[in-house]
This record gives sequence, C-alpha cells and structure tokens, in this order.
Amino acid sequence: MKRSQRTIAFMPKFRLHYSVIMVILVAATLCRADEHTVFRFVRKHCVRCHNDSKTSGDLDLRALQANGGRTFDESREAWERVIAKLKTGEMPPSDEPRPSAETVVGVTDWLEADFMRQDRMIQPQAGRVSARRLNRTEYSNTIRDLLGVDIRLSADFPPDQTAFGFDNVSDALRMSAVLTEKYLDAAERAVRTAMFGPEKLQPSVTHYPLPVRINLMRGTKSKPKDPFNYDLTGLSMVHAAHVAHYFPVEGEYSVRIVLNGHRPTQSEPAHPALFIDGVLAREFKVDATDLEGQIVETRVQVKSGERLLSATYLKMFHGLPPEYQGPEPSSRPPGPLLTGGDQLNQQDIEILRRLGTKIKTDMSVETRIDNRFESIDVGGPFAQQMPPSPANLSKLYACGHGTAEHTDECVRTILTNFAGRAFRRPATTQEIERFLGLVTLVQAEGDSLEEGIATALQAILVSPSFLFRIEHDHNLDDGKTCFPVTDYEFASRLSYFIWSSTPDCNLLQQAREGSLRHPDVLAGQVHRMLRDERSRALVENFAGQWLQFRNIDVIRPDVERFPEFEDSLRRSMKRETERFIEEIIREDHSVLEVLDADYTFLDERLARFYGLDGIEGPEFRRVDMSGTRRGGGVLSHASVLALTSYSTRTSPVVRGKWILENLLNAPPPTPPPSVPALDESKIGESVSLRQEMEQHRQNVACAACHSRMDPLGFGLENFNAIGAWRELDGTDPVDTSGLLPSGRSFRGHQELKQILMDDRNAFVRGLTEKLFIYALGRGLERYDRPTLAAITDALPAADYRFSKLVLGIVGSLPFQMRSISQQHTDASPTEGNEP
Amino acid sequence: MTLIITDKHMSRRTLLRGTSAAIALPMLDAMQSAVASPGNSSPVNRVAVVYVPNGIVMKSWTPVQTGPEFVFPRILKSLEPFRDSITVISGLNNTAGNKAKGGGHAKASGSFLSGMSPKFTAGADVRAGITFDQVAAVKWAPDTRVPSLQLGLEDSRMVGNCDSGSSCAYTNCISWKDAETPLGVDVNPRSVFERLFGKVDPGLSPETRARRALYRRSILDVTQESTRQLVRELGAADRRKMDEYLTSIREVEKRIKHAEQDDRVPTIDKPSGIPFEFPEYAKLMLDLLVVAFQSDLSRVSSIMFGREGSVRTYPEIGIADPHHPLTHHRGHPDFIERVTKINCLHAELFAYFLGRLKSTQDGAGTLLEQSAILYGSALSDGNSHSGNDLPLLMAGGHRGGQHLQVSEQPVTNLYVDLLNRVGIPTESFGDSTGQLDTGT
Repeated sequence: MKRSQRTIAFMPKFRLHYSVIMVILVAATLCRADEHTVFRFVRKHCVRCHNDSKTSGDLDLRALQANGGRTFDESREAWERVIAKLKTGEMPPSDEPRPSAETVVGVTDWLEADFMRQDRMIQPQAGRVSARRLNRTEYSNTIRDLLGVDIRLSADFPPDQTAFGFDNVSDALRMSAVLTEKYLDAAERAVRTAMFGPEKLQPSVTHYPLPVRINLMRGTKSKPKDPFNYDLTGLSMVHAAHVAHYFPVEGEYSVRIVLNGHRPTQSEPAHPALFIDGVLAREFKVDATDLEGQIVETRVQVKSGERLLSATYLKMFHGLPPEYQGPEPSSRPPGPLLTGGDQLNQQDIEILRRLGTKIKTDMSVETRIDNRFESIDVGGPFAQQMPPSPANLSKLYACGHGTAEHTDECVRTILTNFAGRAFRRPATTQEIERFLGLVTLVQAEGDSLEEGIATALQAILVSPSFLFRIEHDHNLDDGKTCFPVTDYEFASRLSYFIWSSTPDCNLLQQAREGSLRHPDVLAGQVHRMLRDERSRALVENFAGQWLQFRNIDVIRPDVERFPEFEDSLRRSMKRETERFIEEIIREDHSVLEVLDADYTFLDERLARFYGLDGIEGPEFRRVDMSGTRRGGGVLSHASVLALTSYSTRTSPVVRGKWILENLLNAPPPTPPPSVPALDESKIGESVSLRQEMEQHRQNVACAACHSRMDPLGFGLENFNAIGAWRELDGTDPVDTSGLLPSGRSFRGHQELKQILMDDRNAFVRGLTEKLFIYALGRGLERYDRPTLAAITDALPAADYRFSKLVLGIVGSLPFQMRSISQQHTDASPTEGNEP
Repeated sequence: MTLIITDKHMSRRTLLRGTSAAIALPMLDAMQSAVASPGNSSPVNRVAVVYVPNGIVMKSWTPVQTGPEFVFPRILKSLEPFRDSITVISGLNNTAGNKAKGGGHAKASGSFLSGMSPKFTAGADVRAGITFDQVAAVKWAPDTRVPSLQLGLEDSRMVGNCDSGSSCAYTNCISWKDAETPLGVDVNPRSVFERLFGKVDPGLSPETRARRALYRRSILDVTQESTRQLVRELGAADRRKMDEYLTSIREVEKRIKHAEQDDRVPTIDKPSGIPFEFPEYAKLMLDLLVVAFQSDLSRVSSIMFGREGSVRTYPEIGIADPHHPLTHHRGHPDFIERVTKINCLHAELFAYFLGRLKSTQDGAGTLLEQSAILYGSALSDGNSHSGNDLPLLMAGGHRGGQHLQVSEQPVTNLYVDLLNRVGIPTESFGDSTGQLDTGT
C-alpha cells in the first residue's frame, strides 16, 4: 500500500511498534473507505470476469458501477452476493491475485454499513395476502377439528403447488374443476361419516410382494455375532418383512402371510409372528423344513390409520439341531426323513404332509437357515365399526337434541353454529337463509330432516368462505396505509400458522370478546398453542418442508447395497426427526439445537441401527447422546443423511448443498449445463469418492461453488447413504477433513457442527425468513427487512427460544395488519434467496 | 456415428439439408390429403402424447436410413410390428426451450408442447403457454365427458427440489391449459377410473342416486350465489380467485349434467391403487387410456412415464441407479448401456399401448388408425441437456412407415401439421415458422 509506505517514511522519529502502526493505518483505511474504494476494488479484482461480455455468475459489475452510488440500492441483491462471496473467500478465485484481508474487510464493512443505512430508511409495511385456499393438510386438519372425522379425505386431491419451498403460499394455490369435484366428494363423505357413521366399505385385498434378499440370508452374514444374545423378536433382522398399510376404518381385517425359505432338518418348529406397530399381534407355529408356500393367516381388530405390519420369526436361532451350538438345541432325533426308498410308505406320506410338500426326497438333510417371507395380503374390513361416534354427533347437534328429536328451531341453531365455526366468523342471516333453503328442498323430495341437515352442511363445506381464508378490506380515509385485520381474521392467521387448522372455541371466544390482541393474552395463547398436540403441524408441515424430511417417504436405497433398509427403518428414521423437532417446539428449547444437541429420540429399531444397546421396545424415548460418536442435531439423523444421498452412494455435494440451503441460508447458484457425472465404477476400487471430487477443485470455474459445498459434505462422510456409521467406504478409509475457503479447516462432523454454530446468525436469519413466509403465506419484500431484523435481533437475549421467534412473528406489523390495496399490486415480486 | 450434439454437428446437418435433394415430397402433406379424401371413413380424432424423461440415447434411436426402408434401431425394435403406423422424425428443435432461462430439464419440458419459453421462477408466478393437445381438448370438449386426461407415473409430491431454481410446474407436467395454468398429472389409477366413470356406488338405488345428483346441483347453486356475492366485496386478487372458483363450479355442473344423461358401463375393473411393479403400473394406466378413448369419454391425453428429471430406479430390469444421474454419463459406455435399457423398456411399454389400440375396433377402423400419437422427450442428449434433434415419433393415423429427416426447425411446426391432421385448421402455433418443412 503506497499510502502506508509514505506515512511510515514521514514518521521516522516515532519509535512505534510496527503492529501498532499497522493498526492505525488499517483503521485509517477503513475510515476513509467510501464508494470509490469499493469501485476501485471492483475494477482491480472483479471486472475482468464480471463484465458485459464475460458475465461470470450472471454478474456484470462493470455495468452496475456505471450507475454510480445509486447502484448499491438499486442492485442491492447483486451487491449482497458480492459481500457473501468475499466474506467466505470464494471470490476472487484462488488462482487470481488475492487482495489483502484488510482491503476485503474494508469493502465488505462499508457495503454492510451502507445496507444498514438503506434499511433504516425503509418504511416497514404490512403487505397484503390474497384469499388463501386451504391446502391439503389444512383441509384434512380442519375437517378433523370441525367434525371429528379423520379419514384421509385429501389423499387423492391434486398436489398443492409450492412456492418459496412451501405449499401454503397464497398465490401458488389454485383452484380447478378437478379439485372442486373432489371438494364436493370429500364434503359428502365427511358429513355422512360424522352424521351416519363411516361408509360401508366393500372388503378388498391389498397384496404386498416382499423383496427377496436370499444372498444376504445365507452364509455367515445373517448369523448373529452371538447366538445367545440376539433380537428374539426378529424385528430388526434381515429375515423379517415390514409393510406400512393404511386401514381406512376401524374393523376386523385378515392378514395372510406366505412363507418361504428353509429351516434345518431336525429343528424345532419355526415361530413366524405378526407384529402391528411393533406390538406382537399373533404367533404361529410352523413345523416344516421347506417353508415355501406355507401360509399362516389370522384376523385382527385394527383401528383406522396407517400401521406398520411386520412379519418376523421369533427366536429364530433357538431350537436348531445340536451341531449349530445355539441356545435350546433341538431334542428331536436326527436321521433321514423318508424310510421307504422309491416306494413311499404310509409313514413317509405322513411325514411329507407334516413337513412340507417339497421336502427333499433324496434323503439329504437340510442345513440352510434362510427362512423368509414371500408376501403379505391384507383383506378387509370385515365387521366394520358402523355407528357414528356420539362425540361427533354432540358436537354437531348444538341444539342439544339427539337424532330424530330435532325441532325446526334446531335446524337454524345447528346451521348457525356450524357455519360460524366453519367460516371462522359469525355467519350472516342471508347465508343461513340460503342453507335453510336446501334443508327445505331435501325434505320436499321426501327425505328426512337429517338428510336435509347433511346437505346443508355439505354446502357450508364447499362455500368459498370455508375453502378460502378471506380477509376483508377497509376504507381508510385518514391517510393511513394499513389497518389491523379483524380479530376473527387474526385468530385464523394464528391457528393456521401454529396448527395448520381452524381456530378452536377458545380462540374464537377471545376474538368475539375482542381481547385476543392484548399482548399478555396473545403471549398466553401462543404458549398454549405451542404446547397443544396440534402444534405437530409445525413439525410435519413447516419443518418437513424446510428441512425436506418429507422426502424420506420417497427415497429408494438400493436393496443390494443396503439390505437393512426397509419400511420399519424408514418410519423410525422419520419419527426421530419429527420427535426431535417436536421437542424443541413443545418444550420451547433453543432453535440452535437443530444444529447440535446432546440428545435425540430413538426406538429399539433405530437404536440398533445406530449401534446403541439397552434401548428396547417400539416407543420413542429421549436418549442422551453426549459421549457417543454420533452425537445429536439434525446432521446426525439418519433421515437427513439418507435423503441427501443417492440410492447407491453418498453425495458430499448434495449434503453440502442441503446445509447451505437449509442451515446457512446461502443456497448455491445453479450449476452450469452439461456437467458430466462421476465414474461410479471406479469409486471404491481404484479411486475413492473423495479423489473423484477433487476434480471440482482443479477446475477454477467449478471451485467457486464447490470449494464451499464439498467440504461440508466431506465432514459427514462417516455416515453412509442410509445414515449408518462407517469407517470405510469400500476399501478406502473415510476422510472427513474439510478445508473451507475462509481457510478454516476441520475434521469430522462434530467439528463441522461447531463451525455451523459459530455462524449462528446466518442460521437464525434463514429460519426467521422461512417461518415468516410460512406464517404469512407470501414471499418476502424489501419492506420486510426491518421487521425480520427486529425479530432476529431479539432472539439472543431470549436464548434463541422457539416461542420467542413465534411471538416475534405474531406480534409483527405484517402479521397483525394489512396494507390497503392502492399501494401495492397484488402480484408480489419475489425476494429472498436468488438462485 | 457419434451423436454428441455440438456446434460442429449442427453445421453437418445444415450441409445435409443442401444435399438432401433425394428426399421425396413431404409425406405428411400427402397424409393430410389422404385424410380429407372421400376414400377414408374414420377421421383422426384422438390425440395422445406419451412422454419419456431425461432424453434418449440417440445413437440407438435414430435410424441410419431415411425414407420408407429404414432399419429399426435397438431402442425402437419393439415397435417394428407397427412399422406401417410409425413415422420417426429427426431434426426438430425445441427452440423455445433452448432460449429460455432456467434449469435444463425444466425449460425443456416446460416448453415442449407449447413452443413458449417458460418464465424462470420457482415461485407462484409460473408462465408458459397453452400446449397443442389442449387446443384439441377445447375443440372437442362439448363431445366428451372428460375434455383431457393428464396421467403420470411418478408421484410429484417432493417439496423443495425441482430444477435449479425452476418451478416443479415445469418438470412435473407437460400439458398447459393456458399460459398460467399447468395441468397436474393424476398418478393414481383408481382416481383416473373414478374421473371417467364417476364414483359408482353399488349400494344406492337409481332414485337415490338421482336425488343425490339433484342435491349436489343445488349445493353448487348456493355456492355460486355466495361466491358471486364475495366477488362484489373483495379486492382485485381475491376476485380473480373467486372467478377461478366460479369457473370450476360451472365445469363441474356441466360434467354432472353429462353424467346424468350418459350411462356408459366401465369395461375395466376398478383398480384398487398403484401397482407395485413399474411395468404393471404403466400398462394399467395405458389400459385406462385405451378404455377412455374407446368409449369416447375422452379424446385427448398426455401421459408422462416419469417427471422430467426423474430419479426412478428400474430394479425390474436390473438397474439400481436413479435415471437422471445415469443420463449424465460423460460418455462412459457402461452408463450409456444402462440408460439404453431404460429407453428400451419405455419403448416396449409404448409398443404395448399401440398393440392395445390396434386390436380395438372402433367403427370402420381400429382405434390406432383414429389416433394421432406423439412419443418422445423434450431432450435428446440428456448428458448435455440438448434440446436439438429431439427424439420423436408419430404413431397412428392412416399412414406411417418411414423415417423422416427434416431440416432444422422448431418442433412446433410439427404440431401445426398435427392439428391440421386432426381436423383443426391451424396456421401457426407457439413459435412455429410455418408448416412442417420436410423439404429439399
């Protein structure tokens, strides 16, 4: 720096320590930094690649500079990208001359200060959201809470359009004739189920063929390490089979299991068993050596909902012939089975009948233990539970009378009550008259009063005031630009935010009384709602989309490479993350626990998968993970690790991208086209995955983004493509070291989590933005920045508790108010993270 | 013959155009006049698009010879029995997709059937263009219960992951009703069945069923009244949504009226759900399509064998790797072989479809003769996301039996021809530059 040299030359008599001089000079440089410093920097280090003919990264900084000082405001997003790249050290690229750290800091500090100045001048505004159609989840939840009916009505609705990563954004949710027809059908089914009982279903059969994993069941791999100490239920063994089946109504169902495989001659009989949701439902006894085609069947009473059916062999390694040296050796005599030679005698036929028809007739002895299952068939429902639930009926019949006891006044009472709850505000007389007209019509056709009520209720459930959350405009003539939404509208916003469902009586009552907006009352409501069971909706819908763990349902890991992955493990993985997030929300923990925590939730299946002993049973319980090699936080969850992998291998790039997008609020830009894939055949043999990926670093254009993404993913390489711990990848030891562009290096996932924790502001800002979008149902605008900054700034003082974040959003201007329509076009341009 | 699409390759083909004096008169024009001529009885009034994702291995798709005496290459082999009904077309480009911004897959499938570049967004403001199949659907809507059927074989429920900043609407469906209305696919055979035949409730008497239909219409009347009132009270954006709802209600009313006057019995058992194995699943959906066409319940359909960018694995043919990453093969022969196997499987399923259509009589001819079917992908080389020289073939109608190598032009020129062929006079569509130029 020429200036510093000159200054030193002028100060020969001051015998100051050199570093003190440097500090003074750096400070001097900073103080003097201004837009011209920035422009000079850009001209020197950036414009060579970021200009109008060579727009690297779609950025033409030369053009931006031509606008002078205005550019920092007009092209704010572009300059924010500049700061982000400079701070992480990704830019300038490593093969370009590097400016000194002080210069870079000078530039980024000035830019950030200018942004803060701009933001201070922005007037926060409330913004507007147009009528928000209920999405699938909200629809189901609302029907459940209104009518007490929970029958997966929206399962065959068309998928909701997503925007900004969420499926509850107002402008993305459209209406179509297909959907309207489904609403009509769903309303009919819901009302009829509530009033007259569940529809009578014809019994049907669902057939589940099971994957065949013979090679894994034979030989030493399938034998337990300790034959005296293994999973006696068989649930976690490769010989078991699991399917998730949806039972539409409560009733009796038949479960038929077809067996296959072999058990050594002379063994005690096999004990196949059926488990439902991890609980033993029925045990069978099958005495055969060749199990192919053996069928066991039972009837079970099951409540409606999705249940996990598991077929296993109990105590599989008990009762084997003595030479296997296992527990409880068989006391049956050895020897050939058939005595008659070519002519089968009576005894032979008895034996054949008893032990299986395909028994070896050459008198050799079966030695294999590869018993397995061929298929599971679920049939039903039989003896369906038919009558309507009394609880549902009393909810509906607000007049207090039972069925067939209603007077004419009852009808008005029932409809007024139901419409008020369905519309989330009191119904008007005109609306009630319309619905009463339907009741009259039905009765005129000769049907009962109840049928009339059912028809009117259906009409309420397809009314736009039910299907859409409508907020009315007010006329303001006192110069104000926004107005508070009504208390009823506010109650709806609250309940759909926290519960993805309709406001309950408590909320509606306070709305009616006008007390809902008082800060104390509001805080009390928020805490109550978060502790309520219905806040599960935030786990499934908000977190499920933010962290994308809804995707666990659709991944298909390769059966050959990962034989232990099947439906029961999938369910357990998903439940771990759900339960973990639920804990943070319900018990109001710090949101930073998402990044790193010392606990998690496990059932026996998942604990076994993680290599942890002493956890038994299918219930999920809190487990202390401090001191374990896996640790806690979502980066240690098998769900996240599996959904960020391919079906055949891990992908550090996908994992790094996931971390950048969802935890650091810094999504990478789109990859360039025609990027070739890895040569998978070499990996694990001549070349490790890591070495293949080094090619990213060699090519400068690739390194710009990959130098940030890949190391993050490398840190997780101790977890294979389904989230199990590994030390080796094929034949190579796993290398979990990473070097970030900033120069910081780390090894292993624990150190990686520490780095994320150090960057907590990015995480918190990202989380706030996403929760804001989810709560309001619209994208971010520039005028939201002060609001978001205020919410984020309040968190450290509250230990980053989740409720503080929710209260911040709920008390904010956009959540409480609505802008008047002349100010804004209703189509909102998007902000947030540009790709 | 290598088929890596580079600029060099382009100029080779341009050169071909200059030397293609040998190519005969455009066969498609002759076909058109054949349709119009009095000799032929049954008109072509079914349109289907069968879509396969992630491009196709072109070196095993494009026949070496042009004209009528061409040899069926490996991927097309299963279609050989239908030679007389098939025209393979090479040389068409997805010009609208090529110049669009956004993820390589999204901009391809988002523009494939419309010739309009999709707007680069992951948000709610998606925009592309009406697709040519929907032009036909609108024309024939008064005569069919279901104006068009959009089917798919891949559950599009993934959240958050589409294509490099481009919306899922562009990758998960290929039919657009208008510039702002993508038509989502139905992936559940049972739901498709119910759309065609209604929710046949075996327990109700005809009188009860009639009363219920009356009540449903009355419910819709009341709903329309409420909605119209709201329209008066609300702001502009909300009004648009209410209008959308009113339009939907009117369509449903029409459908109920149609259904009441029409008592067609389903000729297929009601499916209970989605079959486990992929080939079985595909065949079931194709069967439903045949039934829909045969009973004239619908005349227009598009079916996607996978969403664009599909990551389906095909264990049934021994492929454990997901489709999309495989297509980025970098020239590796083992990967190319696996992708080719997938392409072959898809073609075999298409052959099954053609077989069903051919063996179904309808009036004077077979259903195949009355249908105009397009099979192909919006990408050619999946490795480079190329939208040029698309893998396309036409099936059905009254003529076929050749490999047509046309000069580079927008694929929408083909759609202009197709629409004319099915009796919808069209001069231009999307970014078309005229009628299909097969010429010299």
